[in-house]
Amino acid sequence: MMVRLPRATAVTEELLAAGPAVGAEALSQVRDRLVAAVSPVVADLPAGERLVLDGFRFSTALRHPERCVEGSTPFVPSPATCRRAVGLAAVDRCLRRRGTSPAEAVAEVLRCGAEDAAGAERDAAPRPPWWARWYGGLPAGARAAVAAEATTWATQLWTALDWEALPRPVVVGARDDWWEPPRSRLTVRTRAEVRVRTSDGQALVVVKSGVPDGTSRSELAFVALGASLCSGAAGAPARVVGLWPAAGAVRVVAVSARVLHGAADEVVSASATWVDAHLERADGRSRPEQALSSTGT
Amino acid sequence: MRSSLARHPAGRSRGDTLLARLRGDAGSRPAVDPGLAGGLRDWLEDELSEAVAGLPDGTGPVRVTKDALDQVLVCEAHFLSERRQPRQVTTEMARGTLVDLLFRQWVTTGAMGDAWEDAVCALRVGRDDGVLGFVEQLAPDARARLAAEVEEHAARIAECWPILAPSWMARTQERLDVPLAGGRIRLAGVVDLAIGAPSAGQASVCIVEVKSGRRRLEHRGDVHLYALLETLRSGAPPFRVATFYTADGEIDVEPVGRDVLLGALHRVVAGTTKLCRMAAGAEPDRTPNPLCGWCPGLADCVPGRRQVEDSTHTGPVTRP
Ligand code: SF4
Repeated sequence: MMVRLPRATAVTEELLAAGPAVGAEALSQVRDRLVAAVSPVVADLPAGERLVLDGFRFSTALRHPERCVEGSTPFVPSPATCRRAVGLAAVDRCLRRRGTSPAEAVAEVLRCGAEDAAGAERDAAPRPPWWARWYGGLPAGARAAVAAEATTWATQLWTALDWEALPRPVVVGARDDWWEPPRSRLTVRTRAEVRVRTSDGQALVVVKSGVPDGTSRSELAFVALGASLCSGAAGAPARVVGLWPAAGAVRVVAVSARVLHGAADEVVSASATWVDAHLERADGRSRPEQALSSTGT
Repeated sequence: MRSSLARHPAGRSRGDTLLARLRGDAGSRPAVDPGLAGGLRDWLEDELSEAVAGLPDGTGPVRVTKDALDQVLVCEAHFLSERRQPRQVTTEMARGTLVDLLFRQWVTTGAMGDAWEDAVCALRVGRDDGVLGFVEQLAPDARARLAAEVEEHAARIAECWPILAPSWMARTQERLDVPLAGGRIRLAGVVDLAIGAPSAGQASVCIVEVKSGRRRLEHRGDVHLYALLETLRSGAPPFRVATFYTADGEIDVEPVGRDVLLGALHRVVAGTTKLCRMAAGAEPDRTPNPLCGWCPGLADCVPGRRQVEDSTHTGPVTRP
């Protein structure tokens, strides 16, 4: 069932358009410069600690640096926090099985997740997705809320692109990109909802909530940087397209060496903000937490 | 444990009628004018440019919601006193939230068990806006009364709404958040139900707003606003808007033509201009009206008190 928003064709064309290529040498320069700049920043962390800079923390440091000092709230599964994971699995099903609607796919994903979670209690196989155990223990009304939230999310992504026009393979909800520079206590973690192969390498789609603002381009460039640093032979993505379904807004970042250098600078600055916040908190408290994890976790 | 609600034969014919009204005749759906959304956006931004220019630097975005529009267009001072009021959950608000959750459940899964149990469980995992605490603190008899009411509304939903085919692409509680003037104004809303596959060629989306309270004049303005927001957001207008009343199972359905969109646009311009004035710190106008008796600012409002006194001489006013 291929249906799409009026702008889907234009968005897809933007996604597949040629980008300014970033050669292996230029990418290596970005990497070296970032390592040289960020390593001393994270070296200030107490022994055994590491900064995991993900999209949320990157944005917080840019938008609301004062919030980095506040304690983090523990993660609580909810229909809102698991809609992306369930929704991505559902869109992947829609893509693989022609004629499947997002609502049907979400129902299937949830049913399989609950079955896998129940099976994992009895024996070891297969490993259920992170939300499945929580979902499996919910009463009917709460399960319906999960299904409704994920269906709306999945439908928005499903109708935002012209999937038939995307060259195969299309990867929906791939693993996050994790990059750890050598001898540095930093992990850069980025994620994209959709990855496609293009003539220039790869292009990424990122789904965001709310409306785009002055920081949005930096957020998309951060995703481009994470994918580039982990890319190996594939090289940097040619484009990152950000979708804001609530606003019907689209922003495109054509990935150049300049964009990646800019994103690397912002990674250094965001890392410094988090490290400072941590040290400030550590002065007032005995137990460090939030953005920092113990080595090896 | 109350009985489960499921679609039954009597409901099927009523549901089919409802669907036919929502779906209409596919051939009569208007073609999408590709320039319409851009034109409406330009028009809005031109009309609001002066109001936006009057906003002081550093003020956050002016949020334009259906409630803000309803209030500020009645009386600017009323809007401000509503905003200053601490949010207090009432039985009607709790019922509305619980019924919305059950409607969402029905549309998504096509089944309901014990309506009260289902709605409260959905509330427990959702965003906490104070309703859960309110419901949990109700005295047993008040809770039983609310549960019975919710049960009745749930029965109406199950009776009137068929299970929607997956091809209808039902989206529930879909957020619309349209920035204007570089984000200084944000037109925002949450659509209870949007159905119909979005299409580039022909308007094909129908927006449904669910109300558990009485019919009110403002409800048409609310769905017209959503029609405008959906047009700005997606680039295509919905072809129909509807308001479903869970108390009696009635549904008001209206086609969306240019008149609806332009009416909504003029209302947004008028209301947003006032909201920008308020955001800029201007003295609010007081416009006495038949609703003054329900205004939280009545005690400090001379014209409002006069209005209430005059209306007690001319006879009681019931809130429409
Ligand atoms: S009492 Fe009437 S006139 Fe006064 S603020 Fe309220 S609505 Fe406006």
